[in-house]
Amino acid sequence: MKDIKFIIFFSFFFSFGSMMYAQLTPQEVIQTAEDKLRGTSSEAIMKMTIVRPKWSREIELQAWSRGEEFSLIKITSPARDKGIVFLKRGKEIWNWQPSIERMIKLPPSMMMQSWMGSDFSNDDLVRQSSLITDFDHKFLPEKLVDDRMCYVIELIPHEDAAVVWGKVIMWIDKKDFLQLKSEFFDEEDYLVNTIYGKEVKLFGRTLLPSKLEVIPEEEEGNKTLIEYMSLTFDTPLEESFFSIQNAKRIK
Amino acid sequence: MKKILIIILIFSGLLAYAQEEEPSKWEINGYLKYLHTYFILNDFDLQISDQLVHHRLNIKYFAHPNWTVKVDFRNRLFYGENVKLTPTFNEMITNANNDYLDLSLTLWKSSGHVLHSMMDRAFIEYSKDKLEIRLGRQRINWGIQTFWNPHDVFNAYSFTDFDYEERPGSDALLIKYYTGITSSVELAVKAADHIQEGTIAGLWKFNQWNYDFQWLIGYFRDNIVTGIGWAGNIKNAGFKGEWAYYGGLDDQASSFLGSLGVDYVFGNSWYGSLGFMYNSLGSKDDPISNLFDFELSSKNLYPYNSALFVTLGIPVTPLTSANLSIIYSPVKSSPLFLNPGMTFSIASNWDLDLIGQVLFNKTNKYYSPVQALFLRIKYSY
Repeated sequence: MKDIKFIIFFSFFFSFGSMMYAQLTPQEVIQTAEDKLRGTSSEAIMKMTIVRPKWSREIELQAWSRGEEFSLIKITSPARDKGIVFLKRGKEIWNWQPSIERMIKLPPSMMMQSWMGSDFSNDDLVRQSSLITDFDHKFLPEKLVDDRMCYVIELIPHEDAAVVWGKVIMWIDKKDFLQLKSEFFDEEDYLVNTIYGKEVKLFGRTLLPSKLEVIPEEEEGNKTLIEYMSLTFDTPLEESFFSIQNAKRIK
Repeated sequence: MKKILIIILIFSGLLAYAQEEEPSKWEINGYLKYLHTYFILNDFDLQISDQLVHHRLNIKYFAHPNWTVKVDFRNRLFYGENVKLTPTFNEMITNANNDYLDLSLTLWKSSGHVLHSMMDRAFIEYSKDKLEIRLGRQRINWGIQTFWNPHDVFNAYSFTDFDYEERPGSDALLIKYYTGITSSVELAVKAADHIQEGTIAGLWKFNQWNYDFQWLIGYFRDNIVTGIGWAGNIKNAGFKGEWAYYGGLDDQASSFLGSLGVDYVFGNSWYGSLGFMYNSLGSKDDPISNLFDFELSSKNLYPYNSALFVTLGIPVTPLTSANLSIIYSPVKSSPLFLNPGMTFSIASNWDLDLIGQVLFNKTNKYYSPVQALFLRIKYSY
């Protein structure tokens, strides 16, 4: 269920570009954004804050990825979860529990479980798949978001696609291909979630929103924030980096 | 006694030294827990209330890129009626927690109190490229299944002991070589005075068809043991199994045991797991009280011949989760073990748990001879 939500979430902050195209189709706009990441690797330090009206919790993590196949996530805070590692290779996921020193293989359906109690699932953090093949796309009139002119693209999922959303609307910056806003609608066309990309920053040579805010429509006062403390692309990460041995050892 | 003191002294020295060192060379964490236990023993018309203050300190020192030292302390203060009613309480916990070496110390003892300190991890590790060698008290975690682990030949644990999340360690030498990205070969030897008490075993792990497989072979306390285990999936459900045959030498009985299970996470984040256990050494007619006093080992993981288990985990809110485990044995006395629990995250690093353990079995009638309720507060640092 949360599957696609996360895929979209992921492509949201990893999609970027700087080239201008004369005539782009909506698919090409999304593809351009997605292509920038494919086949490359990234290394990030981030903080996730779950905000509810009466409380909030912070989780800090380090994440490494290579293409869409391989990723490694290590929790660095809070103390009770520190050192827990998730390793993903293709469709397989392992979870390293440092307290019992055991590598546990997770069922694929665990991917859809809520990530550390947030609105995100494991899948949101470790998998990325195509926004192209599961949807039909259409341009809507261009709009200004945070002083940036954006393509506005409507995505309607195919009948047979395993997508819970009835509709998605994405605002992608025309100049740098930044995803500044996305809205997710249910099958009855009610707005469920909005994701904002904020505080655009230069990470190396890549311009990206450094903060993501996920705001559920129906739940007043709830939101989840993701903040990038650091993000680097194309650091040389071999496939062998994403190994069982490294998942236990990585610091 | 002296041993543990010396080690504490060495480590407190290292700690002082550490403050001048780069912080990245050290990793220190742990927790403080308070556990209140309330037991109801219907057969004896007895209600017992017990308290435990439990402090854990984990210290890891990265002495050199290839050398790591780890020492974990488990300090516990027991008090309450069970301590008073059991004159041998101190000996009991000392014996239960030691392996070949005596790494425990009773710091204080009175008629109703025991303050006990021990190290359940104390090892030095050398690692270079694909090789890892570990010597000392360590947990050699060879289980692959979720609930019952016949491959856990070095340090079997009981799932009724939920409060010991780290599980016991073993005084051993472990040599591990990673033969690939998801494969390895391990060889381990446990310290013993006589070969009949020792364990020496090898484990080969490999990955094929998106399944993790493992093959165990070795010698376990006067038994020859071999077994296979796997962790993979059927569609989106996890599918795990772990089986072993223990061939008894001399006058030892042979056993065949193992478990098989599936688990799945539903769209609403509910977690469900379903499984089956078979133990050829298990009894077909013992009453349920055996669950707490039978001699646990990887060769005999459960007192009964067979068992079915179901687990359900429900995230009620991001801060609250509920779970229920049920184990039922289709044998004469129909023993049933119910284990409900609730976990509340009361603040960052503060958790509160409410856990129940209720046993049922059939003698003249079907009833519950033992109920236990646990309240736990935990602060992690």
